[in-house]
Formats: sequence, structure tokens, C-alpha cells
Amino acid sequence: MPALALAAAALIALALPIPLQVAGYSYFVTVAFLVILNAMLGVGWNVIGGWAGQFDFGPNVFFAVGAYVAALLAVHLALSPWLGLVAGVGAAVVICAVLTWPITQLRGHYFAIATVAIWMIAQPIGATWELINGSRGLFLPLRPATGPLDAVVSLRFPGRSKALAFYYVILVLFAVTLVLLRMVDRSKLGFYFRAIRDDQEGAEGIGIDSRLYKVIARSITAAVFAAAGVVYAFWALAVFPEQVLDLNWSTFPMMATVVGGIGSLWGPVVGAVLLIPISQLMGATLGAGPLAGRGIDLVVYGVIIMLVAALRPNGLLSLPWRAWGRRLVGRRR
Amino acid sequence: MTALLEVDGCTKRFGGLVANHDVTLAIEPGEIVGLIGPNGAGKTTLFNCISGRLHADEGRIRFAGADITRLGADRICHLGVARTWQIVRAFGRMTVLDNVMCGAFGRTNRTSEARVRARRLLDFTGLAGHEPVLAANLTLADKKRLEIARALATQPRLLLLDEAMSGLTPLETAAAVDLVRRIHAELGLAICVVEHVMEVVMPLSHRVVVLDHGEKIAEGEPRDIVRNELVIRAYLGDRYGAGR
Amino acid sequence: MTLVLQAVVNGLEMGLVYALVAVGLAIIWGLMEMINFAHGELLMLGMFGAWWFSTTLHLDPLLAIPPVALVMFGVGRLIYTLLMRRVQRGETFAQIFATIGLFFFLQNSAVAAFTSDYRFVEGGLLSRLSGINLHLAGLSVGLPLLIAGALALVLFLALYLLVERTEFGLALQATSEDREAAMLVGIRPQRMFAVAWGLGAALVAVAGAILANFFAAYPQVGFPFTVLAYAIVALGGFGSILGTLLAALLVGVVQSVTVVYLPPAFKDAFVFASYLLIGLLRPQGLFGKF
Repeated sequence: MPALALAAAALIALALPIPLQVAGYSYFVTVAFLVILNAMLGVGWNVIGGWAGQFDFGPNVFFAVGAYVAALLAVHLALSPWLGLVAGVGAAVVICAVLTWPITQLRGHYFAIATVAIWMIAQPIGATWELINGSRGLFLPLRPATGPLDAVVSLRFPGRSKALAFYYVILVLFAVTLVLLRMVDRSKLGFYFRAIRDDQEGAEGIGIDSRLYKVIARSITAAVFAAAGVVYAFWALAVFPEQVLDLNWSTFPMMATVVGGIGSLWGPVVGAVLLIPISQLMGATLGAGPLAGRGIDLVVYGVIIMLVAALRPNGLLSLPWRAWGRRLVGRRR
Repeated sequence: MTALLEVDGCTKRFGGLVANHDVTLAIEPGEIVGLIGPNGAGKTTLFNCISGRLHADEGRIRFAGADITRLGADRICHLGVARTWQIVRAFGRMTVLDNVMCGAFGRTNRTSEARVRARRLLDFTGLAGHEPVLAANLTLADKKRLEIARALATQPRLLLLDEAMSGLTPLETAAAVDLVRRIHAELGLAICVVEHVMEVVMPLSHRVVVLDHGEKIAEGEPRDIVRNELVIRAYLGDRYGAGR
Repeated sequence: MTLVLQAVVNGLEMGLVYALVAVGLAIIWGLMEMINFAHGELLMLGMFGAWWFSTTLHLDPLLAIPPVALVMFGVGRLIYTLLMRRVQRGETFAQIFATIGLFFFLQNSAVAAFTSDYRFVEGGLLSRLSGINLHLAGLSVGLPLLIAGALALVLFLALYLLVERTEFGLALQATSEDREAAMLVGIRPQRMFAVAWGLGAALVAVAGAILANFFAAYPQVGFPFTVLAYAIVALGGFGSILGTLLAALLVGVVQSVTVVYLPPAFKDAFVFASYLLIGLLRPQGLFGKF
């Protein structure tokens, strides 16, 4: 992405929610929070899906791991969410590596169904495990922050400032994720992931341990999902199994990635920025009023998705943006 | 002097089909060995067993003294065996430079170093100038060149070339032969070439091994091999051999 | 012990119906290697079809099978020609994306048309036979499910013969093996894909019409069946129609035996646990060709 566009995007991301907040539209700030959350999940999923080319339908399991680990530590040990973030990410990476290693001997669709299998097994465990309170869910302890510093350390923000504060929290995490993933993309790991995607046997022939690097790729995805899960838990103030294991945590990032353009670092961001507001807008307009509850908004949403897929199966980044940009600049001169 | 590669009684079956039967051969350091035989003779299967893509059912394969019979392809590559493929396996959606860098990363973790090495090999193999091209958009001859460059980037001691010249025009073939000669002369690698075109293998190889129906039927210097009756029969059929 | 045996018998009966649910996917996904996230929504349409047929026309829901099959064959073809044919040009992931859109569209169109209420098919032959059990060696076999299973089996075998024994089936398999080679011998791949989608949609909708006799129809009913169908096809092995049948029976048995010992929430978890176990022992599925 050209530096100019990147700077503009960063500026918009930083400044946009402030007028919304001031004008009292904190609902839209929450939408912005969801956009960044899903963009973050999208770039995370892109590592296993877009770079390493493996069908992963169950990354939401690690979203749940992150949410639960941080929530448990907060409930039982009164630990700060930031320490919970470290622990949640660490736990997700370890669990992901242990679970993914055996299934990497499966290829293609068989691997994909194995990731679904892990999710399907996680659901009843989440619903019945007493340690995490089963389907009754875990509630984070409520206590007002003692000051601005405590608010940041314990992620407790009073009243109307909550939406804005959490927006910046997720924005910071997202920025860190982007920087780290950009480093991964340009390192040996990034090269090896794409080599495995393009030709697994060819990759093994030049010394790449495909199973090991698939595990690493999926663990990176798991780490990103877990980090997002931790923030989500403290934002929602409660963790329910059916909520954190919801299929949408897997499909939305996947959809954002495909809409934007799979494999490129920025594809999922473009996709999330488009998809989430559209779905929220649909919900707020068509989903309200006399037709509320009849799913009209989601019918239209489905049609939009199908149209994008049929017209641009390789994502919106596959459009000739660069040429358009050049033409635009040329005209101005 | 102990051989670089020793294949000792290698047998490989696919169900009822015996692709390799009791094949024994050795490759010395710095040697060019031609592996020839009619289609379906088991040449590629033998390559696959040596490079770890398949595992031999019986027999032992040693490389530089280490038993590699049951090692995976990636481990064998790290020990110093690199290969190319009969049907090219270039990483199509990556650039030419990135393809070769993937090979170079086998010996270094640093991106800058991998890039320097990859550029050097692209120069060596005559692909300089194609760096930003996607591998999928190369011609067949350039794809095969790219595979050689990528294999060389892993810094092998033995290079296995599986029909690196098939499907090329005479001009391209000559260039490929020249490349193999230069790899041998300038990098000092041992090379094993699989080819079923005799005219290519004979002038190139120091020694030739002939496979037919999965078995080794002859081995020797090229000028002896072209006169070997079993070889002639394998290539031209029994009638020719019997009618002599 | 009798309890377990009884569970096995029930599971086999259910497995026959699952086979019909999964075989449509075995064609679209297993044979033609296209992903359909909205498979269960086609089943849901079949259920609503049978419900609508029996409540408005006051005919037995089983009689809805031929019209449902016919209409859904057309719907399947339409999905291919309007949507998937274009999506096929892109990455495989685009197919997931497109069919998620289809999933939203079909499910919520059903909400719009029928609301999210549960709809029960009443007065049909199978519901009048409910409670009638055949007794055999101390085990009881529910008659309605037995009839449904037999019906599913007949349809399944017809499809098996169609794919394995007819020229059309051969053309279908050739297209799945090598699209370009198929074109060389005069097969038009896009037509094959369209027919495969038609067949797949018709079969799963018929399964839905049968299931409507036992389960309530509602817009969200499909997704669990989608997940289960994917497990069955992968378990049976890609491209193996008969493998799908055996895997479906296995899944039915695993589900009903699990419920004997554990809360019902675990029944699908055990299906997937067996998938993982079998997958790790036999990575190409039970009867896969590769």
C-alpha cells in the first residue's frame, strides 16, 4: 500500500470516532470497534488461509481460549487484562500447536473438516465444563476504576467513554498486529508459508518442513484471535460459550479477507471496513421498523455478498486501483 | 574414497507393481551420472526414493555416510540433496526472486542474505532481469531454469535433475546442457540427470546407469553403454536385439 | 447392553436418512470439489416444501417428494449458472464466501416468507404410523423411521447406479478427474457442473422432505445438517458414493450410542472425534480413492 494511502487511512482511523463521540453517536463508535476487531481477526486468519493456503474453519476456538483465559485470571486472581492478554495468547498458541500438529498430516478438505471437528468438540466442552461455569458463563468482576491510569490498566472505562476507549484499545492492538505480521510476511516464515500454499511437495523438496510451518502459521492465527478474544471479553464483561464460539468469529474474518483480497496484508482490512458497516447499516435500516425480525436486512446482505463474489471472485484489491490512482493524479496535473 | 550417495538394493512397490527392484548404484563426489531408461522404467521413482518423496520398501540409501532411507524430503534436502521435478513445481504465485529465496532460506534465516544469494544464482542461471515476474508466467524453459536455481540455493552437494530438458526446443536444450556443465565445473556438484533422450545424456555424463522395468540392466561409461546389447534391446525392443 | 443395541438400531435407521442428506454434498463437494456452505439451507427448503405442500394441498407430505425434487433440481442448476459458474474463476475461498452469501439469502428469505416459527407436518402417513414398532429379538424398530430409511436407501442406490453405471455418471466423474481432458472428449464441463448442482440440491431437498415428517421445519434448521454432511462425506472419503453411505450409518450409530452415555450436546462432538481418530489413522477417509 502506498505510503500516502496508509497515512490517510491511519489518520482517519485515529480521528474519525472523535466527532462521532462528541456528537453523541456512540453507537457508531461501537460499529467502528467491531470493524477494527474483525479487521484484526481477518489479518490473523489471512496467515493460515491466505499465506499458507490452508482451509481453517475453526479459528474461533482460539478467540474463545483468549477470552476465557483472561476472564478466568481476572475472576480468580484479579489479574490485569494486559497480563491476561499475555496469558491468553500464550495459552492459545500452545493449545493450537498441540491440536494442530496431528491434523497437519491431513491435507486440503480433510484438514478443513478437522478444524471444524475441533470447533464442534469445543462447543459441548464449553457448555458443560464447570471450571468455566458451563453455559452459565463467566462474569467479569465489576468495580469502578480508581483513576485514568487504573482505567487503562484494568480496561474499566466509565459510562459513555467506554465505546471510544475500547476503540482505541483495539486500534492499538491492531496496529501492533499489523506491524508484527508485516515482519512475518517479509521474513523466512512468510516465504515458507507461501511456498507451502503454492506447492507443498515442491516446498518439502527444498527443505521446508511443511507440517511444522503449517503449525506455526496456524499458531500465529491463533495468537491474533486470542488477543482479540481477550479484548472482547473485557468489552462484553461476560464470556458465554455460545457467544465466543459463535461461527461468525470464523466466517466474518474469512469473508472480510475474501472481499478485500486473499493473501495480501491489507485485503482483510478493506473487507472489514466494507462488510461490517454494511451489515450494521442494513440492520439499523431494513432490520428496524415494520419489517423488523423478518430478516430482510440479511436477505439484502446475502445478495450483496453473492454479487461481490460473482463479479469479483478474487477480491476488491484485484481491481486496477493503481491504474485508477495514476489516472486520477494525472488528471489533476 | 567413499561414495557420496549409495543406493543399496532399493525396492519400491505400488500395490502389485514393482517400480524399482533391487537397484544398487553409487554416485561419487563431483561426478555426473546419467540415469536413463525407457518410459516407465522407474527412474522418477528412484529419484523420489532418494529425495525422500517416497520411501523404499526394501534396501538402504545412504548419503555422505548417513542413512536417509526413511527421512522426510525436507531433512534430506538439509543434508545436501536437491532436486528438480519432471513436471515443474515452481511456486506459481510467487515472483522468480522469491522462489529462489525460499531455497536460500534453507541455509540462512536472514532475508537480506537470502536475497543476495538468490540474485547471485539468478545471474548464474541466466534468469537475471526476471526477478519480479510471477513464476507462473515464465516459459517452460525458464521455469525449469528457475527450479534449478531454487535447488542450487539450498546449497546441495548432490543435484538430482528429473528431465530438466524434456519439452524444450533444441536451442533451449543446448542452453540447459550448458547450464548443467557450468554447475558441475564452477560449483563442483555431483549431478544425477534423468533423461530418456540419449543424445542429451551421453555427451554430458561421466557414467551412465540404465534402468528397465525397474531393474538396473547396465552401468558404465557412455561409449560402452551405447554398444550394450541389453540397452539396445530395452530401447528398441526385442525384435531388433534378437534379429542381430 | 440391550440399551446399546437398541441405540445401534436407531442409529442405523437415522444413518440412512443422513446418507441422503450427505449424498447431495458428496456430488457437489466430494466429486466436483466445490464448496457449498448453504447445503443445509437447501434441506430446509425441502422441509418447507413438504410442509407447504401438505398444509395447503392437504396431501401426504411423502407425495411432495417428486415436486420438491423437480423444483430443487432447477434451483440447484440456477445457483450454479447464476452464481457459482462465475465464482469458479476465482480462488476456492471465493466459493465459501459466495455460499455464505447464499446461506444468508436463503435462510432469511425463509424467515421473511414463513417467520422463524416451528412448523410441523401433520396428518401424513408417517405421523399416523408413529408409535408403531416392529419387535425383533427384544429390539424395537420404529416403523415410520424404517419406512423413511428404506425410501432413502432406494433413492441412494438409484443415485449410486446413476453415477457409477451410466454414461452420464462417467461423464460426471471424468469432469471431476480432469476438466480439460473431459472437454477433449466432448463433455461440456459447465453443463456437468450445473447438473451436479441440480442433483445435489434435489437430493438434499428430498432428504428434507422426508425429515419434515420427524422434525419441525424452521429457517435455521439447516446448519447442523451442513456440518454433519461435511463430516460424513470426508469420513467416507472423497469421490466415494458408497463410502458416504457407510459413513452416514456410522455417524448415525455414533450419535445415538453417545446419547446413551452422555448429554445430547456431545453427540455431534463424538461424531467429529471419530472423524479425527479415523482421519489420523487413514488420512484419505474410509473409502477415499486418494
